[in-house]
Amino acid sequence: MNTRKFKDIFARRLMFNLCLFVLGLAFLMAFGLYQRSRPILAITSLKNLLFSNAWHPSQGQFGLASFISGTLWVTAIAMVIAVPFSILTAIYISEYAPKRVREFAKPIIDLLAGISPVVYGVWGIIAIVPLVRDYLMPYLSEKLPFFPFASDNYTGFTALTGGIVLAVMVFPVIISVVEEVLRTVPVETREASLALGATKWQTIKYAVLKKAKPGIIAAIILGLSRAFGETMAVLMVAGCSLHGFTKSIFDTAYPLPALIANTYGEMMSIPLYDAAVLLAAFILLLITTLFNMFGWGILLRIERSEG
Amino acid sequence: MEFKTHISVKSLNVWYGQHQALNNISIDIPDKKITAIIGPSGCGKTTLLKSFNRLIDLQDGISVNGQVLVDGEDIYSPKVEVMDLRKKMGLLSQKPQVLPMSIYENVAYGPRIHGLKDKKKLNEIVHRYLKESSLWNEVKDRLNSPASKLSIGQQQRLCLARGLAVEPEIILGDEPTSALDPVSSERIEQKFLALKDKYTIILVTHSLRQAKRLADYVIFLYLGNIIEHGFAQEIFENPKYVKTQAYINGKFIEEHKINRELNLKGTICPDNFVKAKLALEELDSGQVLKIIVDYEPAISEVPKAMEYEGHKILEVKRLNKTDWEIIIQKYDEGYII
Amino acid sequence: MVKKIIKALRWLKCPSLCSGLLAVVHYFSAFFNAFSGSNFQRKFEENIFKALMIISAFTVTGILIFILAVIFLKGFPAINLDMLIKTPKGGYYLGKEGGILNAILGSIVLGFGATFLAVMVTVPVVFYLNLYLKKNSRLALSVRFFLDVLWGIPSIVYGAFGFTVMIFFGLKASLLAGIITVALLIIPIMARSMDEVLKMIPFELKEASFAIGATRLETAMKVVFKQALPGLMTAVLIAFGRGIGDAAAVLFTASFTDSLPYSLFKPVATLPLAIFFQLGTPFPEVQERGYASALVLTVIILFISILSRILSKKFTRNIIK
Repeated sequence: MNTRKFKDIFARRLMFNLCLFVLGLAFLMAFGLYQRSRPILAITSLKNLLFSNAWHPSQGQFGLASFISGTLWVTAIAMVIAVPFSILTAIYISEYAPKRVREFAKPIIDLLAGISPVVYGVWGIIAIVPLVRDYLMPYLSEKLPFFPFASDNYTGFTALTGGIVLAVMVFPVIISVVEEVLRTVPVETREASLALGATKWQTIKYAVLKKAKPGIIAAIILGLSRAFGETMAVLMVAGCSLHGFTKSIFDTAYPLPALIANTYGEMMSIPLYDAAVLLAAFILLLITTLFNMFGWGILLRIERSEG
Repeated sequence: MEFKTHISVKSLNVWYGQHQALNNISIDIPDKKITAIIGPSGCGKTTLLKSFNRLIDLQDGISVNGQVLVDGEDIYSPKVEVMDLRKKMGLLSQKPQVLPMSIYENVAYGPRIHGLKDKKKLNEIVHRYLKESSLWNEVKDRLNSPASKLSIGQQQRLCLARGLAVEPEIILGDEPTSALDPVSSERIEQKFLALKDKYTIILVTHSLRQAKRLADYVIFLYLGNIIEHGFAQEIFENPKYVKTQAYINGKFIEEHKINRELNLKGTICPDNFVKAKLALEELDSGQVLKIIVDYEPAISEVPKAMEYEGHKILEVKRLNKTDWEIIIQKYDEGYII
Repeated sequence: MVKKIIKALRWLKCPSLCSGLLAVVHYFSAFFNAFSGSNFQRKFEENIFKALMIISAFTVTGILIFILAVIFLKGFPAINLDMLIKTPKGGYYLGKEGGILNAILGSIVLGFGATFLAVMVTVPVVFYLNLYLKKNSRLALSVRFFLDVLWGIPSIVYGAFGFTVMIFFGLKASLLAGIITVALLIIPIMARSMDEVLKMIPFELKEASFAIGATRLETAMKVVFKQALPGLMTAVLIAFGRGIGDAAAVLFTASFTDSLPYSLFKPVATLPLAIFFQLGTPFPEVQERGYASALVLTVIILFISILSRILSKKFTRNIIK
């Protein structure tokens, strides 16, 4: 058999196996984490772990509820801020902006996506913490002394701070997906609407966005998944303290990823601590993967129907 | 013969970047008649059509010089409200573009965006214009189902209904039947003949036969210039210019204005394609590249690849025993030829 | 829509308030109906949204500039040559002598290692997907799908997984563990960009190459690779940038150390963690150094970004888009 063909077949085999590796990696990760969290699942029920507030590792209590609530708060704040800004920006860039502005915007969005999460955390500490501590907290908390604003945490390291920093990290995710989806709407649809005498905005509102709706939802889901899993930046600014439930945007928040990161030193010293933490990682894996499958599933279907 | 003019074009010049698409066009379009714009591909027919409802404004890098008077008013003057202008004109594209809504919504879209909210009136409009496009009987039971589920012939009729619903005065058709099967085509043509009494209709068409069937007035456009225009009977039976004669008789020898010529004799694929593509990059949209190849697979490969990228193949001609000539017109995204 | 408001108001069960509100609503709807659909109202609505959009776009752009400005302004004063060329001496984190050379070199070594590993896996996979498999083959769809899933998994989960593997094999935190974990992290990122690049190569180019009898491998290496090179390089650079910026993945796996990277089997320092630890101390001088370190990391990433843009522009001139 001549060498050319042999090289081809060998390469083909190698590539195929690497593909199998990629396929299996996600499952491997899930399996590995699950295995390591079994010890604690054997002792405490899942319900207890998820819904109990009591986190006292040295006494063998590993209730993750307050961390889950911290995650939810920070993620919710981030999405409330990020979604409108991102969608409006994406529509502007792809429909209204002149060519030069569009070319200028792309590198900026890429840059936002490329900045290290730790640097975001540093920025958060320098710029956002004082903002919350010195301006937002005093004004809002006094004027609106009720849920969700009332709090006794005056440090500036709050769920809101975490949410703001997280929102900025989520911008590029949503913007780039929405932009791409808007591009798949054919020019002729817009032409057809404009030819009837619609304004550009009417065309976007009634024709373009309608077609793009599933894609926009997918973008939001992917942004949500990103927000859920971000660790370092939030850890540095949300004020991870073991106070119990986060009840206000000005309370500290201790999201799940931050918990995993913070305990890296002590994990092996207390029995079952590592299992609990790895269980948290497993839960994180499941949730983000679920969101991602949803989001990508939608996008895949759009891509298919466009041909 | 005298006629009442609906649209009057005076010295219209249109450029896409460096490429001049329309060259000093002056023509009058007769009122309440069917005017056909004919000519070989890529010669500015669609540009002319879309300059009537200012849809060419959407292109990057376009510049327009001259006047287009509709009912006496220049539509390119800054104080003209484009949305009102477009309401006067209905457009039927080559490929039927239904909006992503139900059948009802599609027809109601036009009146809705111009402010009509009265449900009863909207129902009436939908009913009336679906009937006028002969679509009513086929869809009356499923007005709320998505328009995308209709057959292509039905979609085009829906687009017609949609265009008529804003009660225009002028209907513009950009090769409206070229994507349809013969039966649907015929239906649309019958429609046009019936609508002639109430609307001024301007059609761009590739098909001489269609022009002969439908047109009252004919404009022959070639390379952005009007070669000849007149009433259909005169043009078809007694054309004054050689080119017109040749085109009508199907013996048209197109002399494309070649902007760049590339001799690729001796190169094989994929280098042929690569070099051709590189040369094309340096041209503006609308400009023409001629390549000479002597490598057989290139004759089918290069045109296939070029068309895949959206460019137009104007001609593939055999020069002699070994050499072939391929003429390619560059077509950038969004460019209307 | 007015009817809906009326219905909602009925629920409030407060007659005087209802009629008052009703009157207000009627007045406003009459006002708007007069202009309804008129060009004035339509344009007005469009202008409002246009304004909102421009504000959003400016905010997003402005925030980037804000972030860069903050890092530069706070980091620059604290930078001195010492920081860049020395390793931390004892007590560095308490304010004493030293620099972050350990972290800078550690990050670079880790980054290169991880990127190299990732390229070894990603390039074959992506080429296989685009050259050997049909577009809609089930394998291609599954691999792409799972790459997307992997893309979305948070870096801390990669770190935790890396940790479990380490425990399983009885290994300790080391440069090697960090390299492997970060490589896994950046494979999906690299794969996505590379896939996009290869997808854009016109099919006819590949077809033409097969037409003269080249094997798929030869087509891959000689024709497609050259075409795709700038895009592939950009993908590699982007992945490198993400790899060195991540702290969560190396936290468990590469740990930290004060010494320069000298062994694959010993822990290694990384810039993100160095920043994190310096900021975690209560000493202002050390925190200042943290800002400076953040500046160093940001400059490296900016440099990579600009480099990738320049390279891709330079090569695209000779290559078909």
